[in-house]
Amino acid sequence: MPRSRSATAAVALAAVGAVLVGCGSSATSTGGGSAAGVAQDPNAPFEVWTRSTEATAKVYEKIFKEFEAKTGVEVDYKPIFADFDKQIQQRAAAKDLPDLVVTDTGSLGVFTSQGLVGEIDKAGIAGGGDVVERAWNNGRASDGKYYAIPFSTQAMVTLIRRDWREKVGKPVPKTWDELTDLATAFTKDDPDGNGAADTYGMLVPGTTDRGYLGWWASSFVWQGGGDILKQDGDRFSVAVDSDETVKSVDYLKKMFCGDPKLVQPGALTTGTNDAHAFFETGKTGIYVTGPYMFGRFDKNLGKDKYEVVAAPKGPAGDTVLGEGENIYLMAGSPRADAQKKLAEYLISAEAQQAGMKGDPTPVVRLPVNSEVDVKAVYDDPRWETTAKVYADSARPFSSVPNFQPFRQQFSETLNSLFSTCSNDSKAELGKLAENLKKELQTQGMAK
Amino acid sequence: MTVSHPVRGTTDVGPAASGGGAVGSHPVRRRHRRRLTGSSFTGSSFTPWLFLAPAVLIFVVFKYLPMIEGIRLSLYQVRPFLGDLWVGFDNYARIMGDERFRDAIGHTLVLAFGQTIGSMVIGFALALLLEGHAKSLWFVRSAVFLPVVAATAVIGEIWRLLLFPAPEGFVNTVLSVVGLGPWTFLDSPDTSLASVMFVGVWKGAPYDMVLILAGLAGIDRQQYEASALDGATTWQRIRHVTLPALRPVITILLTLASIRGLRVFTEVYVLTGGGPAGSTDVWMTRVFTVAFERNEIGVASAGSVMLFLITFALTVVVQLYRRRKEAG
Repeated sequence: MPRSRSATAAVALAAVGAVLVGCGSSATSTGGGSAAGVAQDPNAPFEVWTRSTEATAKVYEKIFKEFEAKTGVEVDYKPIFADFDKQIQQRAAAKDLPDLVVTDTGSLGVFTSQGLVGEIDKAGIAGGGDVVERAWNNGRASDGKYYAIPFSTQAMVTLIRRDWREKVGKPVPKTWDELTDLATAFTKDDPDGNGAADTYGMLVPGTTDRGYLGWWASSFVWQGGGDILKQDGDRFSVAVDSDETVKSVDYLKKMFCGDPKLVQPGALTTGTNDAHAFFETGKTGIYVTGPYMFGRFDKNLGKDKYEVVAAPKGPAGDTVLGEGENIYLMAGSPRADAQKKLAEYLISAEAQQAGMKGDPTPVVRLPVNSEVDVKAVYDDPRWETTAKVYADSARPFSSVPNFQPFRQQFSETLNSLFSTCSNDSKAELGKLAENLKKELQTQGMAK
Repeated sequence: MTVSHPVRGTTDVGPAASGGGAVGSHPVRRRHRRRLTGSSFTGSSFTPWLFLAPAVLIFVVFKYLPMIEGIRLSLYQVRPFLGDLWVGFDNYARIMGDERFRDAIGHTLVLAFGQTIGSMVIGFALALLLEGHAKSLWFVRSAVFLPVVAATAVIGEIWRLLLFPAPEGFVNTVLSVVGLGPWTFLDSPDTSLASVMFVGVWKGAPYDMVLILAGLAGIDRQQYEASALDGATTWQRIRHVTLPALRPVITILLTLASIRGLRVFTEVYVLTGGGPAGSTDVWMTRVFTVAFERNEIGVASAGSVMLFLITFALTVVVQLYRRRKEAG
């Protein structure tokens, strides 16, 4: 028996070795292929992904149908409801990406640094001249070249339960202090009048998944004069441990650790999809978010029950995060002509308006096409507020090659600070700063 | 578990078949001898492989090839569209140097230990309570077994709701009846791991119960009667008759549970996603985050390969131990 066992083991080993060699050789022959020079095949399916909810998928479907009718190009549309980035990574690992995707501007860094998108010839895009320059910046990487075409823009606004606010007799908050004051009243003064202490002031999607907490907190950090990275010429330095950042983080920490706690229970593991429900079911009263959900909240909560306002001012102003969605033409596509055609259609005034009119949720929030008039299409003061905030106070994240690792680590540190309620924010943020410095060096952007 | 297949396919058949009777043992032995003398695949030695082929093919395509590809990826900086870069064992150094990964290993061990022991103790208690042949017991046993067959993701979502950390949460409401709570459960780094462990025990205990029930059924009743005649108390009977007789079952349970414990993913991912503050991050959730959120497939593969090697080593050790026991 022992001898036979060693013999079979040898056979098994040899087989494994053979497969290993086989894998290795096939990998070297296909590896290193670039996006350019992919064989074109007009019969290949034209696969399009959008990061969507079921409601927005219907809007996209309509737009794509219109596109098919106009051009005869068939779209194989797949709305992705959850884990969009993870699914992209899985398809990238299989070297079989969808042909075109519409997703956050925040994915630009990951896509470019992994070679998932190629450079865009901005001048060669029909109708590209109608796209406002500021929107084009959403498709521009740190090397100054364009890798994506903007589709929609937006700014973070503050949603407040108007009926609650009137009940507790507070004004619309204009400053950080008033914001905390209102959130405290929402938490303590039973604004829904049911006699139970089951309401909360601030709604925070505080999970570290995708770096959501960092997304939410960034606006506050800027309002306090802090930052994650600071631009210095064409390089960057880390600002996450500056006094201003520490002060802003401490302001936020009080919402999580003060008495009473102003955030909804479970905030530090709440994702955005779960978060919306807290607002529309009357659990929390203040929601700093993008203008994605007006339609849904109107339906489930009531249009008259909440108001949309610009961010209350912090010590350094009312800056908020302004981002949006981009159209990405993915690498390795056998349908380059269809990619360009669809992108050109999506930025046309017609498609942009159709996207804004999506019911209940628009897929184009603020149009990128200068020919489209926000006021005329929406006829809604809340959207005018959003447009004004975007014009006056919105800024994007720093344009390093890939901001995602910075946001991820920033949110992990905040998540830890807010859950342990550590007294030494400065030390924790200092530790983070060291790690971010390393990441800056890895990306070749350190001062 | 998958690891042991290549070994088992050729060696374990021997004892298993011979256990079945003399008829089974002879062909097996003959086959080994023939291969030793160097004869090729002919006649009767080819037929078994033909029957095995479908299963082997599926295993190769869905298990072994991906495993080998994983090992290959762990040695590269993976960039599917820019070409992979050879980095050797750098990925292993990086994942071992990652503080959050080391923390995650610690959590994994604590969780595996707690869930294994918890499930076994409660499973044992349930088995003692529910042993017997009455119809009603059969019904209760089925009900108790339900958590095992329910989808883990569903269980996670439901417990997430039950453990809502506010006073109006379901479990907190129940606790308030007896004057306890409200507890933070999954919301605080101090209680999150224990809460995940609780859900794991809730799901794992009935499984242990079924195996222990099978073990209990195999105990000779006369031993109980004899010890009762000798005046042994209930506790003494459990301690000196039941437990020793259950030793083989407990060994199997320990092996299965420790391997399952190391690979834990779904319940943690659904319950907390590894948060808050990384307090429930385990081996596989960390690998998942590194792969699909930090987009470092190579480093994540290194983490998976390490887990594979450890489970492999564990399996081999237990197998050797069992074989020596059986021999001795």
